[in-house]
Amino acid sequence: MDNALYVGLSRQMVLRRELDIVANNIANADTNGFKVESLMTKEQPGPPAFTPQGPRPIKFVSADGVARDYGQGALRRTDTPLDVAIEGQGFLKVTTKAGDRFTRDGHLRTDDLGRLTTQAGDPVADESGGEITLDPEKGQVTIAQDGTITQGIERVGKLGVFKFDSLSTLEKTGDNLYQNTSNQQAAPATEAKVRQGMLEGSNVNSITQITRMIEVSRAYEQITRIMDSQADLTRNSITRMGRLQ
Amino acid sequence: MQALRTAATGMAAQQLNVEVISNNIANMNTVAFKRQRAEFQDLLYQTLEAAGAQSSDQGTIVPTGVQIGAGVKAGSVYRISTQGSLTRTDNTYDLAIDGRGYFQVLTPSGDTAYTRAGNLAINDQGQLVNQDGYQIQPAISIPGDATSVSISKSGQVQVIQAGQTAQSVVGTLELASFTNEGGLSAQGSNLFKETAASGAPTTGTPGVNGLGTLLQGYTEASNVDPVSEITALIVAQRAYEMNSKVISTADSMLGVANQVKS
Repeated sequence: MDNALYVGLSRQMVLRRELDIVANNIANADTNGFKVESLMTKEQPGPPAFTPQGPRPIKFVSADGVARDYGQGALRRTDTPLDVAIEGQGFLKVTTKAGDRFTRDGHLRTDDLGRLTTQAGDPVADESGGEITLDPEKGQVTIAQDGTITQGIERVGKLGVFKFDSLSTLEKTGDNLYQNTSNQQAAPATEAKVRQGMLEGSNVNSITQITRMIEVSRAYEQITRIMDSQADLTRNSITRMGRLQ
Repeated sequence: MQALRTAATGMAAQQLNVEVISNNIANMNTVAFKRQRAEFQDLLYQTLEAAGAQSSDQGTIVPTGVQIGAGVKAGSVYRISTQGSLTRTDNTYDLAIDGRGYFQVLTPSGDTAYTRAGNLAINDQGQLVNQDGYQIQPAISIPGDATSVSISKSGQVQVIQAGQTAQSVVGTLELASFTNEGGLSAQGSNLFKETAASGAPTTGTPGVNGLGTLLQGYTEASNVDPVSEITALIVAQRAYEMNSKVISTADSMLGVANQVKS
């Protein structure tokens, strides 16, 4: 008899989770290389209520997974020589203390040893996984579209750009990094273009996010209204039955 | 509700963004000022269901996990060290660096600071100093009877003294460069100090080993582009508004939950 309440509750929980995700999208609307996320939901076949020849069994709703849109974010010009944006599918590989990570945030710098690193100071890998060292005395750094780095006229390395066949097993670990959670190997991304002096913004579309937020909040009100009227129904039936006796 | 806290991190990040932009605009006319930018990173993710986890004994795996992010943080505020435009001043002691490098300045505490602001002057002893009166290193003294002072592109300071026709060299200016310029720490008054992140300075003659050349009678303007700063300001303001909208939506949802009849 309380099933309507529990179904409503499952919907409320999913909606709250969805708002959390929308809030994270909006908070990261200005984060380099951020990929927008949305919640996928599924029917959860709960145990049927006691209905001998009754209608369909009760289904609950639950979170099924987070869909991540790996679409291209807008490129913006920064004119900083060590800023690179990746156009097309692909990630830069970062060697952190916790293992290999992947990122699309190409806001790089050099550390005190001249190694090319992320802002956090973790070295960025070249095509074979090694480090790239720049020497400021060799002159201007040029990064070609295929990732080849030259200083003056000397080739100093090639920025590694990697891709995955299935992107769904990548997990975000914060700091604009992704972790590969499956045993699939990263392959060199040959079609991706590296753009020097540019950064990739997030691919969050603020209008979509705001409308999604309105939808979520209205759906939450709606389901709460339904739960309320269900409670009213119960209350009414109790008072009327009491009157009959 | 996580959404409330997430939106709060978004508002804090955009507030920092506005602070950085306003500092850029305030320093639009500061000699050799380098504009700054705030870059953001996403915060930790709470993994409710891990992608790649086994969903049965047959080896099927969960194709996509459920991860909920906790918001945003300021990743770095960094200086964009592009060349500022050179402004002609015709002042003898105005020097602009065209290219990489910093002048070395001896601060009263005895440390060396670095600056690109080349609007120099001479003090009462004829020493070349910056606008705060701190000596430029290596120290250069201009004789009191000098009738003309010329500074070459490679930093050689030559003077013609009264009653003479030939030029005599009184010193050579040097520039310092760093492996990671972005790691320098700003001290105010256009001065920077070296840090562990910037690496130790290497000094050299202007125009050699990738260092810039000196131009006498010019100063380097700031590299702030007012139009792009104003557009960045608009974007930051709107992003701030959007985050506050999330807070009010989350709040109204909590309000709805509170009004459920028991």
